[in-house]
Amino acid sequence: MAKITFTDIGQTYDKDPNQETWALKPMSMTLESGRSYALVGPSGCGKTTILNIISGIINPFQGKVFLDENDVTKLPTAKRNVALVFQFPTIYKSMTVEQNLAFPLVCRKWEPAKIKQRVGDIAEQIGISHKLNRSASKLGADEKQLISLGRGLVRDDVTALLMDEPLTVIDPQLKFELRKKIKQIIEGKDITVVYVTHDQYEAMTFADELLVMSLGKLVQRGTPEDLFERPNSKYVGNFIGSPAMNFFKAEVVDGFAQIGDYRLNTAVNLKKLSDRYLEFGIRPEHVRVQGGPGDNVLTVDFIGFDDLGSTRVLNCLFAGELIKVKVPRSFEMPEQGLIDIKLPKDNLLAYRDGLQVL
Amino acid sequence: MKGSTVNLNLHNVSVEDEREVILKDITFDFKPGKIYVLIGRTGSGKTSLMRTIAGLIEPTDGEIYLGEERLDEVPIWQRGIAMVYQQFINYPQRTVLNNVEFPLLRSGISKADAKVQALAMLEKVGLTEFKDRKPSQLSGGQQQRVAIARALVRNTRVILLDEPLMNLDYKLREQLREEFRILFKTTSNSVTIYATTEPSESLFLGDELLVMRQGRIIQHGKPNYVFENPSTIDVAQIVNDPPMSILDGEIKGGRVNIDGSINFEVPNHLKSQPDGKYKIGMRASEVILGGNMSNSEEGSVSLAEVSGSETLLYVKLRIGEVVLQLEGIHDYHIGQRVVISIAPERIFLFNMDSTLCAAPGN
Amino acid sequence: MSRIFKYSFIFIWSAFVLTPLSWALVTSFKPPAAVNNGATFIPWLQFQPTLDGWKDITGISGYANLFPPLINSATVTFFATLVSLTFGCMAAYGLSRFSYGWKHYKNPDIIFFFISQRIMPPAVLAVPFFILLKTLHLLDTKLGLVLVLTSGLMPIVVWLLVDFFNQLPKEIDEMAMLEGCNPFEAFVRTILPLSKPGLTVAGMFSIIFGWNDLFFALVLTFTNVQTLPVAVVALNGTVTPFWTLCASAIFSILPLIGLAFVVERFLSKGGFAGAVR
Repeated sequence: MAKITFTDIGQTYDKDPNQETWALKPMSMTLESGRSYALVGPSGCGKTTILNIISGIINPFQGKVFLDENDVTKLPTAKRNVALVFQFPTIYKSMTVEQNLAFPLVCRKWEPAKIKQRVGDIAEQIGISHKLNRSASKLGADEKQLISLGRGLVRDDVTALLMDEPLTVIDPQLKFELRKKIKQIIEGKDITVVYVTHDQYEAMTFADELLVMSLGKLVQRGTPEDLFERPNSKYVGNFIGSPAMNFFKAEVVDGFAQIGDYRLNTAVNLKKLSDRYLEFGIRPEHVRVQGGPGDNVLTVDFIGFDDLGSTRVLNCLFAGELIKVKVPRSFEMPEQGLIDIKLPKDNLLAYRDGLQVL
Repeated sequence: MKGSTVNLNLHNVSVEDEREVILKDITFDFKPGKIYVLIGRTGSGKTSLMRTIAGLIEPTDGEIYLGEERLDEVPIWQRGIAMVYQQFINYPQRTVLNNVEFPLLRSGISKADAKVQALAMLEKVGLTEFKDRKPSQLSGGQQQRVAIARALVRNTRVILLDEPLMNLDYKLREQLREEFRILFKTTSNSVTIYATTEPSESLFLGDELLVMRQGRIIQHGKPNYVFENPSTIDVAQIVNDPPMSILDGEIKGGRVNIDGSINFEVPNHLKSQPDGKYKIGMRASEVILGGNMSNSEEGSVSLAEVSGSETLLYVKLRIGEVVLQLEGIHDYHIGQRVVISIAPERIFLFNMDSTLCAAPGN
Repeated sequence: MSRIFKYSFIFIWSAFVLTPLSWALVTSFKPPAAVNNGATFIPWLQFQPTLDGWKDITGISGYANLFPPLINSATVTFFATLVSLTFGCMAAYGLSRFSYGWKHYKNPDIIFFFISQRIMPPAVLAVPFFILLKTLHLLDTKLGLVLVLTSGLMPIVVWLLVDFFNQLPKEIDEMAMLEGCNPFEAFVRTILPLSKPGLTVAGMFSIIFGWNDLFFALVLTFTNVQTLPVAVVALNGTVTPFWTLCASAIFSILPLIGLAFVVERFLSKGGFAGAVR
């Protein structure tokens, strides 16, 4: 286990002095020991660059990387004691499962008896004990990926586990099972995990903390709950959560958000602000269908709903804006037409130029 | 629209070889202008059924009719069926525009007309500005839109979509799913068949749901009906995501017992059921967290997973594992002790042979 | 450090490969004295280069003329390659996409049957081919040689291309069929345009093997159709000076070197980029 620290790390391939063009804009951060992190964002956002800098596959253009207190910026990958799992399973097809798992230890010249015991332990953890003598080439992609993971973890000096889209080549039906398994394997270990993915869903299910990236910058860092409850930008509001956050524009009048004839209280003290217009956002999960008028209640035009199985999403129109309301399946659907919905004050966040106003 | 309003009929279609049954006795009447969703696990025969309709697999038994025409005797290239694959399949060497023009040109439309129609289709799928790019220069979602445009542009009588969203991330799935619904409804008078493994997609898109398992259609009907009345435990597992939790129990003397540790009075919808042993199913979203009545039981969290905007909690009870779906995002750690309660009025009752006895209704 | 190692390795390797070639090249320009009076290496410094060797093989001095054999070789190689590629790619496509077989013999066995043609030593085939061509009155003709070479080149082409076609998603041609192409059109319109890299590699192999064939040309042709390798060997058999022999050796490999440069250019310019993801 190790704490991973970045100080002023930046990466550019063409050495352009304009930092705005860099693949990774200069950043500092600390990833705490023993937690799991997901780096998430669309392709080209710099998430893989960060992972490669931690593992030492690329050397940063500027800045330093520390594992605990040690400056490893110039150390080659092999000396960093990190385990890597890539998109494609990396296994030796000519070997059995057992030989595959033992390989890193054989390279380190461990005693055979110790190797056998350690490999047995790891095989047990990844749930593959019964297949130790199989040829690795005969396994399914998900099992191969588990072995890649097992080979990374079998060394006892591993400080960090780095995974780059490890579920990409896995059949979607097996993804769920494998993710669950990886999570259970890691949960018991005191190891820092960094997981790169473009899939928000995967990131949310997997990590203690998410680092949302866009265009070479860290947009927001936080627990899934933070990102869900307090997205710091419209980007995160849209990116996290399903369906995306509702956003609408409103005039700021006397400390209220005025939309049509309605005045809404918001989570922010609008009196302190000088803006005339702001955008406001609220999660579909937080909007409630209300019996009658009240504080922060709007009368909207309910035009239909989408069935998502365990939940349903009501589509409501108000002053030309679409507001989605997510309700449990057991919720009794109202007739189409005018209904009252409540936008609770604490969940109604304000945004200026796409960024949250606090 | 040329011939775009005929039924697609399958009569006892089977595909088998010495080793396995791929499709067995599929009989179904697909009507034009509707979206039929095939739902089933991987390997349940969804893809094989589509490939058989398209002519890529030859049925070993049965007949396929498109209107009056005996479709299974027509070569693939004359069937006039469009198909969209899981993988983003486009012609890599052609531009986006040429890709969409290709099927039109093959069906004998003049170059000028093909271009006009292809451009109109690209407009619909929002790719006009990318028309001169090669597919490899597009993102996954855009590549799949090209494939969809290619399938829709010809106005074929049958459109097959084989899990077209499977390889996209969930935000894109959400977005494309909405686009699809509008596209299919507004552009197509065809028989549209859409395969998926995701219940939410099937409920969202489908006019009719066909549940497949081991090469057979095991239930069909309106999506909502199937969802509320799964005919067997298998169907219930296929149409529920997260899966339905199933526990063994019995009805005895007006009370429901679940393995002796949970018991409660027989709810109204089960009143007419005779005493005996049953399997009891409950949806993840209908199991309650907390409680201290006789319908409650303590267990430990074996996994907590955050999904789009819900938290899934896998709770290990003395009597089995139960999955809960909680609104919002919460933090639970593995091993944490929690109490869950069963909502008697929301349980599904299955016979020991797994067929449905009673559903809670909606 | 690793950089120095890398470059020195490249240097040593190229020296290893290029020395014999450059030795032959230099020698081809030497006057007799530069060969007979001990080793010389550097033109102009150690000897005055002459074109005598080259005049000997190009018919200028009247000693020998390698141009007619060059044309023969080119013609025979070209047609043998063309036939092998045309039919080979169709056979390979068929083997890659459809299944054939009789009892438990399936596609892989057919592919092995093709490649097994190359396992047999050519000497075994010499007599049957001789009798065959004699019966058909094709001995000492270009057509005869093309046919025989094709039988050796086709297996290589099929073997390489089956593998290549297997890498292309079969959904592409399926889709073409769904969109109205019959199987042959699907192949020509969608798969062939994607196959330039595979066809180039297969073509290169077949040109190299065809061009370098000595054995069959020696056995099956005599005076009418003399190919370049045969002509070069014939020079060896007579009392030909070293410089002329060297010139003939360089002469016979020049076309291949030229071709290699063109193909390399094509490959490095990204002629295939984006063709297959």
